[in-house]
Amino acid sequence: MVRKRTIAIHAILMVFVVWTLIPFLFVINNSFRTTSELERSFFGLPKSLGRMATFTLYELTGKSDKIVIRTEVEGDNDWGSGGQTEMKTLEYGDSMRLLWQDLTSGYRLSWKDLRPYTLNTFFVCFITVCGVICLGSISAYIFSRYKFPGRSFLFVCVLSVMMIPQVLTLVPSFLLVKKMNLLNSYWVLILPYVAGGQIFAIFLFKSFFDGLPQDLFDAAKIDGAGHFRLYWNVVLPLSKPIISVVAILNVLGTWNNFLWPFVTNTDPKYHVVASGVYVIGKVLEGTDTVTNLPAMYAAYVLSSIPLLILFVYATKPFIQGVSAGAFKA
Amino acid sequence: MTAKRIFKNLTLLVILAIMVWALWPEREKEATAPQTGTEPGSQAESVREVKYEIRMVPGPYMPGTVPMNIGDPLEALQRVADEFERLYPDTKIEFVNVPSLREWLVTQLSSGKAPDILSVNVEDAWQDVHKGWYVPLDEFLEKPNPFVEDGDPGSEQWWDIFKYQAITRGKAAPDGKMYCIVLDMVETGIFYNKDIFRKLSLEVPTDWEEFVDLMKQLGEADYVPILLSLTRMYDWGLDLIFDQLYYSLLPGIDLKKDPIREEYMQGYLDWDELSFLFGKGFFTRDDMRFREIWRILKEWRDYANKNLQSEVLTKLFVTQKAAMYWDGSWMVQKFSKSPDIDFEWGVFYPPPIPSSYSEFADGHDMCVIGGAAAQYEITSSAIRDTGDIATSERLRRCVAFLQFLTKPRNAELVVNEVSYFLPNVKGTSPVEALLPFDEMLKRRYTTTKWVYTFDNRFLDVLRRMLMLYLDGSITIDEHLEWMEKNVASATSTVARRKELQLTDFEKRWKELEPYRKDMKGLPDGAR
Amino acid sequence: MGRAKLFGAGRYISCYLLLLPTYVLVSVFSFVPFIWAFSKSFYRYEVGGESEFIGFANYLEYFSDPTFGPSFYHMGFLTAFAVVVGIVVPLIVAKLIFSLRSEKLKHIYRLLFLAPIVVPRVAVLMIWRFMIYDDGGMINEFLRVLRLGEMATGWLFNPTTALWAVAFIGFPFASGIHILIFYAGLCNIPESVHEAALLDGATGARKFLTVDVPLVLSQIKLLVILTIISWVQGFEWILIVTQGFPGYKTMVPGLWMYYNAFSFQRMGYACSIGVILFLVILVLTVLNLRYFKSAESVQGVG
Repeated sequence: MVRKRTIAIHAILMVFVVWTLIPFLFVINNSFRTTSELERSFFGLPKSLGRMATFTLYELTGKSDKIVIRTEVEGDNDWGSGGQTEMKTLEYGDSMRLLWQDLTSGYRLSWKDLRPYTLNTFFVCFITVCGVICLGSISAYIFSRYKFPGRSFLFVCVLSVMMIPQVLTLVPSFLLVKKMNLLNSYWVLILPYVAGGQIFAIFLFKSFFDGLPQDLFDAAKIDGAGHFRLYWNVVLPLSKPIISVVAILNVLGTWNNFLWPFVTNTDPKYHVVASGVYVIGKVLEGTDTVTNLPAMYAAYVLSSIPLLILFVYATKPFIQGVSAGAFKA
Repeated sequence: MTAKRIFKNLTLLVILAIMVWALWPEREKEATAPQTGTEPGSQAESVREVKYEIRMVPGPYMPGTVPMNIGDPLEALQRVADEFERLYPDTKIEFVNVPSLREWLVTQLSSGKAPDILSVNVEDAWQDVHKGWYVPLDEFLEKPNPFVEDGDPGSEQWWDIFKYQAITRGKAAPDGKMYCIVLDMVETGIFYNKDIFRKLSLEVPTDWEEFVDLMKQLGEADYVPILLSLTRMYDWGLDLIFDQLYYSLLPGIDLKKDPIREEYMQGYLDWDELSFLFGKGFFTRDDMRFREIWRILKEWRDYANKNLQSEVLTKLFVTQKAAMYWDGSWMVQKFSKSPDIDFEWGVFYPPPIPSSYSEFADGHDMCVIGGAAAQYEITSSAIRDTGDIATSERLRRCVAFLQFLTKPRNAELVVNEVSYFLPNVKGTSPVEALLPFDEMLKRRYTTTKWVYTFDNRFLDVLRRMLMLYLDGSITIDEHLEWMEKNVASATSTVARRKELQLTDFEKRWKELEPYRKDMKGLPDGAR
Repeated sequence: MGRAKLFGAGRYISCYLLLLPTYVLVSVFSFVPFIWAFSKSFYRYEVGGESEFIGFANYLEYFSDPTFGPSFYHMGFLTAFAVVVGIVVPLIVAKLIFSLRSEKLKHIYRLLFLAPIVVPRVAVLMIWRFMIYDDGGMINEFLRVLRLGEMATGWLFNPTTALWAVAFIGFPFASGIHILIFYAGLCNIPESVHEAALLDGATGARKFLTVDVPLVLSQIKLLVILTIISWVQGFEWILIVTQGFPGYKTMVPGLWMYYNAFSFQRMGYACSIGVILFLVILVLTVLNLRYFKSAESVQGVG
């Protein structure tokens, strides 16, 4: 009885999992195929992979003369027909190299563009997260543990910013940064991100700080801790889970933010991954655009890798942070 | 537990190491062109003092790119630049690639950060010339090109070096000045699969009726008769058919003879003329010819692929599921060099519409809608050394590079490295595969280019509504209603922005009345 | 990061000083644009051009704009759809995972559902547009393989299917973060409640609906509000996926604002659209809070 129920649950869950992950599997698969393969058929494993396996087999079984690859013939081609090709017998090493090139051409092409974007994004992410955590925790600490005139008013002020929809401020913010001459730089991204990210951080930190028992502070004060000590040595270490949550959320947010970088940083030098992925793979050909599919797919895969790494190492702290009550709205 | 932690940390370190390696900025060795000079003392190069760093957008000739993923990376332009730098050691030319979005352009130009030499359709630049963002090139064009041999075209006036004079001169802006250097020409053509035609005993059509008949037969034989995309329809299709139906009216409606451009464009209708004509009832629901344009486009579209916005049109042609493909000369690069093409193909130009197909057409040859491809403009960034056109040395370097580039040998080298376009310089010949387009370019220039006449908003509505109409979601009347409103708001916007004065037109309009007397199909207010 | 704090009368000052950076940033990048949006909406302002006061003309123009009605309808539709699937599916999935015995499996499933988060949202949208919905894409190719090629169409550009296609992006909507949030909520239900329900004879689906759901109400409330806020104003996905095509069938107010500002250069008009959207969000959020407050008081929770 219980077993049947468990099987049913697993079945349903697996359906969900498969439906969720299938597009990504296709993306990964297609990123290794060549444009002509993709033009012929959408489905199928990368031909180069298959050939590599067969050729290795030939090499090992002594049939190296069977290693043939279709290559293009140099020289002029007749008007009205396609490029000429011929079958050439190649050395094992050469053939492997050619096949490897085909396999990874999408990746090489897109990485050329994506590398500076990734660097940019890392830089922006790092500074933003530092800024958000610093400002957020300090401000939250002050709101939480100190009484001063206007405290609740100021706090509500800060929180109310969360109510301002991005859609309303998009155009004026753009005009503002244009006036401030910040367009096409790192700061046009970092400053607004920190400005916005710290709001939620303050909110999270404050709820957490509010929940800390007063005895903790009293004990520390008796030990002679000054204000800064309290903050640095007592409160911060305890807030590690919240810090992780804030950090992860902000990294995710910065990584994913597309519209603002797209609109403000149009110089390719300052593109971030999100806006870069949008343009990648569309190579300007003549007066039209032709999509380079393998490069596009490869770009999607590559842009996910940093987050994947983050994911592997950050899920546990994140879940811990969430359970520690970060989302008790 | 500890073993697991060690493993985890170790993997983290390895991953971080890989990431650092992957992200490490590459050395300058990434430069694509092999050093052509054989001098062993090339180390002396890095010692030279670079005073002028010029950023140029080369467009399709970007060194290091692989056009359509076929063949080797481009390097001709880099070689030309290297040679230029040898002549001018104080100058360094950097090639950059930029998005062609108008929003980007506007931001860059208004903050003076745009590259010094841009490659955009000059019509886009016309909207902004009054803001001082572009440098007029007339004074340079009227002087000799210093890199040309004495006696060769261009040695007296740079203007003379261009092969397709009509089209090049026609690129002058409404204010009469020339803001771009046209390096090469592009044209469109209907590529067709000769093997399929042979199989079905079909011939290249000589007029539109034969063309439609041809498509019908192809459809019955289970091929996609022709591949069209939405962009082609509202840009090229609209202009071609408009010309077919309105050209005969020109004597009666061509109000302005632009002294500079008219001689070459022979009756081009500009935004102000179109605005005025709209006031007289043209391009409204009552305009029979206007209505006819859309009808013809729709009928044509019915023989085409189901999804006008599909990204995979080329695939259908390559796998021989489609018999014809309307696209530009740049496809020759793919069709002539890609090993995936295993059939014989050819290209023909859209045939004229006979009066038997439409009462307003008279069967004259279809006009040219292509024309200039790579158009290089010099932006205000170029004069940032002194801020003044007359004294700027940077500007002179930019001009010199363009002059150098249009030297026949260099132009041929750069343009023919890719089978996209035809070089616009006398004394050069295009890639053999592109010769048919040379013939096409000899035709008359188009009557107007709707896409370039009004602003983005006009274009937006046109695109959206045309698609709905072509797919049958809205009727012709609804579509015309949208078009009417669209032209109305576009003309009023542009009239406000450019302070249109229509009194001169009124006078001219009356003068042309006798020509209009016998024309049929005019809207009521236009007699 | 060391900032010395003063004691005594200067204590308050140091508080304000420390809060200063936060406030400066917030003011510059949130308050100032916020106020500006309101004021600029009364002008006809084009970038690089003159600024002319025209009162409410922008608002009136928007109300009579042909995209006005359809945009809001689409926005409403997409938001409602997103809220429903964003709550129902993750909740069910969370519950299913929760009911498993093995902790290890629970962990694995949570990770599996969370995995897609590593793909940047832009990439996901592009994948849906170019790989899944395209003419030669996953769906159509599947159909052709199954010999149902007739049904193949440009999903995003066919007037009848476009809006639904946009809504279905993200199928099967098992968003990892939502699942996690609900899962945490389910974990927080005290054991005593489960036992009490068992004693009452409530099991399976009925227990789920009457016991679990009300107890995760606060999470539901939070997600509903967040979803609404993000979908009402969000238009990036439409920008990437259809640009409002076909015709105006997938146009939403946010996107129209974007086009007017950055493509047509009509900044004043765009600001007025932004203001209208802001008011809509305000009203919706207030309504939401009211609704949930009353729902919670009825349930005797919170």
